[in-house]
Amino acid sequence: MLLSFAQWIQFTTFFTDLRGSANVYPIIMSLHMVGIALFGGMILMTDLRLLGWALTKRSIADVVNQFRVPKRWGLLLTATCGILMAGSKAEEYYYNAFFRTKLILFAVVIITELVFYRSVYANPAALDRAPSVPANAKLAAALSVLLWTSIACCGRGIGYIEPPLDKIHAQIHVNHAALLASRDPYSLKGQDHADVATTN
Amino acid sequence: MLITNPLNSSALAFPILECFHIVGFAFSIGTIAVVDFSLLGIGLRGQSPAQLSRDTWLWTLGGLVVMLFSGLMLFSSDPDMYYLNWAFLIKMVFFISAVIFHYTIHRKALSSDVPPANGKLVAWVSLMLWTGVIFGGIFIGFIYPGLGIG
Repeated sequence: MLLSFAQWIQFTTFFTDLRGSANVYPIIMSLHMVGIALFGGMILMTDLRLLGWALTKRSIADVVNQFRVPKRWGLLLTATCGILMAGSKAEEYYYNAFFRTKLILFAVVIITELVFYRSVYANPAALDRAPSVPANAKLAAALSVLLWTSIACCGRGIGYIEPPLDKIHAQIHVNHAALLASRDPYSLKGQDHADVATTN
Repeated sequence: MLITNPLNSSALAFPILECFHIVGFAFSIGTIAVVDFSLLGIGLRGQSPAQLSRDTWLWTLGGLVVMLFSGLMLFSSDPDMYYLNWAFLIKMVFFISAVIFHYTIHRKALSSDVPPANGKLVAWVSLMLWTGVIFGGIFIGFIYPGLGIG
């Protein structure tokens, strides 16, 4: 059922057009990275504050509360671009072990957020009042660093798994032969321009 | 003479270095963006952008160092390809401009607790330069040297 959903969504007109565009896809990927710099940077700084390694002159409440809104904007940008990329290659991603791992890690992140929300994130002022940062807040921060770093690495890993060409019906096709030939600077003349093409 | 780069003998070396590269830029560009947002009046309030930059500069520098060294190693895996890749060349122009800007004009704008009149302009230029670095980095993978845009 998941597979047929993936096939259906990637063949909607919207995602077919997105997949077929040579420039829109890398622009979306770039914006995904911009989102990671903003959102990832703020998550790391918040977690390092909870661990007592950074921004120690600022109260935890300031860091957690004031980063909340910009962090949500960063998450919105990153997630939107991620969904656009995944949707245009949904069937290929269905088979991708790194993408599957990434989805599982997202589920784990959501669970840890729910577990720690009340005691850590919803009430940061209480953490400032405690004589030292409570252990559960440090645990939440350490898990957050570990999980989000793993998610970023899984995202990078997705591109390293060759798509199962015998199973999928559409892909953003990278012509590896043209890439390899182009790496020899003396054989550039007379190259084909068919470096990126879309097959539906 | 054939020189083999040990990085090319392992299939895992490149993706692992890329992960370090990404975490490095999350730290460096993330902290720079936080300071820039503060200059623009978004995000951390109750302290001056200068104070914030004094709290984050070490993390920015650490991220830059990780990003730079992992980047140099990535580059060393296939220098010919990068040299001929216009996205890489544009990225380097943005990167060098961004680093110079960061440690000259940007630093000067953050040297006083009272942000200068051009503080918002400095923040925008900084954000634009670093965004250019990111875009250049992603487009490297979509362009094959000498073959035009991917």
